[in-house]
Amino acid sequence: MSGGYRQQPGGSGPTTRKDGKRVAGKQAFPPPGSGGSKPKMATRDLDFIPESVGGKEPQPAGSHIHDRVRTGTSVGKEMPLVDSNAKVTGQAWYGDDVRLPNEVIGKILRSPHHYARIKSIDTTRVEALPGVLAVATGADSPHRFGVLPVTKDEHAMAVEKVRHVGDLVACVAAIDESTALEALNLFDIEWEILEPVFDPKKGLEDADEPIHWRGKYHLAKTNVQKRVFQEFGDRSLVEKPHAESHGKWKMAGVHHGFTEPHAVVAHWDPNGRLQLYTPQQVPHYTHRALSTVLDVPMHQINVIRTFVGGGFGGKSDPFPHEMCAAILSRKSGRPVRITFDREEVYWINRGRHPSHIEVKMTADEDARISGFDIDALIDGGGFASFGHVTSYYNGVLATAPYELGSFHYTGARVWTNKPASGAMRGHGAVNTRCAVEVGLDEMAETMQVDPIDLRLANLLPPHSRTISGFRITSNGMREALEKVRTGSNWDEKFRKLPLGKGIGIGCGFFISGSGLPIHWDPNRFPHATVHMQVDMDGGVTVHTGAADIGQGSTTAVAQVVSEVLALPIEMIHVRSHESDTSPVDLGSYSSRVTFMNANAAIRAALEIREQLLNAAWEMLGYHPNNLVLNDRRIYYKHDPAVGVSYLKALHKAQEDKGALIASGAYRSPPMGGVHKGAAAGLAPAYSFSAYVAEVDVDVETGIIRCTNVWAAHDCGKALNPLAVKGQIIGSCHMGLGQVLSEQMVYGRTGHLQNANLLDYKIPSVHEMPHVEPIIIESCDPEGPFGAKEAGEGPLLPILPAVVNAV
Amino acid sequence: MLMPPFTLHNPTTVEEACTLAGALLEKGETFDWVAGGTDLLPNYKWHLNPKPHVISLARIEGVDTLSLHEIGCMARLCDLTVENGIHPLIVEAAGKVASTLIRRNATLGGNLCLDTRCFWYNQGEDWRRSIDWCHKADCGTGADCRVIPNQNTLCVATYQGDIAPTLMVLDAEVHLIGPNGLRVIPLTEFYQLDGMKKNVLEEGEFLLKVTLSKEAAGRSGSYQKLRVRDSWDFPEAGVAASWIPGDVSSLQIATTAVESIPRCHPEEVSAVLGDGWDGMKSVKALAAGVRKSVQPVNNTSLPPRYRKSMVRVLTKRAVEKMID
Repeated sequence: MSGGYRQQPGGSGPTTRKDGKRVAGKQAFPPPGSGGSKPKMATRDLDFIPESVGGKEPQPAGSHIHDRVRTGTSVGKEMPLVDSNAKVTGQAWYGDDVRLPNEVIGKILRSPHHYARIKSIDTTRVEALPGVLAVATGADSPHRFGVLPVTKDEHAMAVEKVRHVGDLVACVAAIDESTALEALNLFDIEWEILEPVFDPKKGLEDADEPIHWRGKYHLAKTNVQKRVFQEFGDRSLVEKPHAESHGKWKMAGVHHGFTEPHAVVAHWDPNGRLQLYTPQQVPHYTHRALSTVLDVPMHQINVIRTFVGGGFGGKSDPFPHEMCAAILSRKSGRPVRITFDREEVYWINRGRHPSHIEVKMTADEDARISGFDIDALIDGGGFASFGHVTSYYNGVLATAPYELGSFHYTGARVWTNKPASGAMRGHGAVNTRCAVEVGLDEMAETMQVDPIDLRLANLLPPHSRTISGFRITSNGMREALEKVRTGSNWDEKFRKLPLGKGIGIGCGFFISGSGLPIHWDPNRFPHATVHMQVDMDGGVTVHTGAADIGQGSTTAVAQVVSEVLALPIEMIHVRSHESDTSPVDLGSYSSRVTFMNANAAIRAALEIREQLLNAAWEMLGYHPNNLVLNDRRIYYKHDPAVGVSYLKALHKAQEDKGALIASGAYRSPPMGGVHKGAAAGLAPAYSFSAYVAEVDVDVETGIIRCTNVWAAHDCGKALNPLAVKGQIIGSCHMGLGQVLSEQMVYGRTGHLQNANLLDYKIPSVHEMPHVEPIIIESCDPEGPFGAKEAGEGPLLPILPAVVNAV
Repeated sequence: MLMPPFTLHNPTTVEEACTLAGALLEKGETFDWVAGGTDLLPNYKWHLNPKPHVISLARIEGVDTLSLHEIGCMARLCDLTVENGIHPLIVEAAGKVASTLIRRNATLGGNLCLDTRCFWYNQGEDWRRSIDWCHKADCGTGADCRVIPNQNTLCVATYQGDIAPTLMVLDAEVHLIGPNGLRVIPLTEFYQLDGMKKNVLEEGEFLLKVTLSKEAAGRSGSYQKLRVRDSWDFPEAGVAASWIPGDVSSLQIATTAVESIPRCHPEEVSAVLGDGWDGMKSVKALAAGVRKSVQPVNNTSLPPRYRKSMVRVLTKRAVEKMID
């Protein structure tokens, strides 16, 4: 295997421009692994297995910076999540479990029309109904909000137009649910029906009345919200391909299908501050949006995140019903609770975009991928949500884990009169990943090579750069492919199974935390902050804004603190529910929490550790460099008998100042190019995965059953292998749902036909294959103890693996 | 999801139930019967044709009999999934209904009288308002059918019960009781081709029990169900076949979930038998014939063309398995 399209920095010319910005692709790198001055990829020993996965060789990247504070207390140990007791005993309080005295029920009036202008709303009859305490309409919420500052296009309730069936029109608060429901029938509304658009291809054409209007930045009179065009590398390489494939895909939208429907309780307390209880992945964005919509400074709002009954991206937008509850509560002076029916959950949606994807790819004589040409048209529904980012992700997240000769991407996101699409586990990457991986298998077929060999021949090495400028640090892709190949007995099975049985491979690549904090400059403010406090009892209270949505982020933070301070995990108390007490955090999305929050927590814990060691220095007379903190003791390195207990050192450290306080922050290093959209898809680290799936196909009915999955995921370092395995298996379930049975069905009239869990076919336990999770530990140089994400990446490869198997 | 308010009646004997029904009818009140509630209550939560009165059969004694020849209307489906004297074909079909949890509540009577389903109908109130209602639940608007527009005479909602076709091929009879007394009819005559009327039950009547003849015990058969998931899902198509082992002339086939009613296919069977039985060739001809005779419409999860062609596969498999 020789040759390859090296994507390394270097070459001639200056690395900075006159204005001080970096030239695209010319960037400083951490310790180089391979490549660098060599234009071609070095041949790698396929039998290489690093220490971290049981081999003898040291890590290519060397030891990890956090290795010196390893105490062996909890990192890398399988442990149940710290909040699991509350959950399994039914004591966890979810959104709808919040009960405040005097609370009333809020209900939302929803649009029966796909697209219509509201000419007038008369609420006289509603207000006259006994038991109705407050009524609100779009007039009460003139301010726009949106999850991304660049695309604020939502109102709490429709101000001028409704944009899909189920769009919010008005809301009422009443003493009980039946009164509120009755009140909904008493609104007198005059509508002017407008011509709706359902097909995203139609959205590219001029319309009489575009769904949103963005003034002079609007593209003609179309419904295009965002267009992306990117080209990298040498496009002449694709002119005379040795092999090529061309796939056209139409992917249906899918929904997260979380267990807990949205629910919110809003309450203006006697001091005039808003207390908002909501199961949110990203409480901070809600906090910001509430401040905008309600015209109240942020410090007068306390967002309390309840336990979250599953999010998967579907609870990461600030939602209009949260604004409605706050508005109703302000008007009625009573706490207002709004809980969604499942139908309403589907109407607020934010699931994966229905997409039309076209992938052309070419390879040269050496089976090197010389070009990807991707076109993605994604159906955004009525609002922007995360769509701006999704438009980029559909292309840029396909640039790895392979070395490409060239890359061309055109993408468009259009508004249609359907519930808004948004972010969902594997945000933006899933559909193109499936198309790309299946295309690779097609090329392997025409070139008559094994698809795994083809992938191995084209892998990006660790410490390299993708063609679009993403900085790859650790990379366990090769190990992952090798492991699933041997684990699944691939060579015995591939193309040798009888009719009706098949085996397929798929790879995945995902960001481990978005490199750009949406609301501020990463050079000025950190991505994540963690506060820590140790009082006289020795317990450690950790304040973080990270939202545990079931993925175990609270446990991960507790684990790293417990590891650094050598305390049992029961002594670490993580407080993350209230915006009043927790530092600002961007929340749980783009698989950032473990990477960023745990890093911040380690820094805070290191500060506490230093204070403890300094106290022990005073007591023992040995310099902290010669002291060891472990097992709730601090002792002399060369004579463990000489030491003090943790509590004694703590009390010594507290003598002058009371409780020990520390604050830790994480910020990402400067990364990426300067081209338009360079920040989309940037991350301090990337996860890699490779799955092999085995399927049984009933050739008469066409029913597909996935029987076995070998799932290798490179999570850098498994802080809690139990949680990582859970994420891998859970991802398989979710991905199988999308590839085999789940879809949001829009009928001929444009209505969502299956807005319930009976007709929206989430696989049951009977459809689950046997999943063998294989954890690959590539020990990321910047991750907390080497860890990377394991929440979203594992979902990507299951789709193409199943499709390829079929 | 709040159910509309209704008055619940709990009679303890069949006679009391009939008197109660008669009294309500005389007052001009409408009502529904409820057995296990797994079909009716979700519909009520969606405000699908709710009635002001509901009469529960749950407290009535002696209507949950279970034997080879008689099954009461309140027999729970979970009890039908174990072979304690129940016909194995019924056991097979009952085991494929919904999920374990639902089967613990659901009853045979409820399953046979299952409301017909349609994805324009089984939706929340707001949703149905957005399509201007439909023929089956028109809320007084006289709305058109949404599946086949421009006809509001017949509702084409699909009957998606699993057990009815198996009972049909076992020649079961149903006992219907009401204020006007008891009548016994073959199950094949119980269903009526209209998704709204559904069956021949008169106002105030309910299905008391199902009886099987002595001859049924000698029959063996198979039930094949098409569904997306192996749990929860209603059949997208279902075929039951039975025969007296060795006697081809006794062959019976019934289909479900492809039309508004489950039904037997005697013409298709006799057409094939008329040409003389020829093993697999006849099975294929039979399967093709049954496929041709059914007319599914586009109102369930899977497309009607697919469901129709799957009837052929299911028939073939049911007969093959039965002959094995």
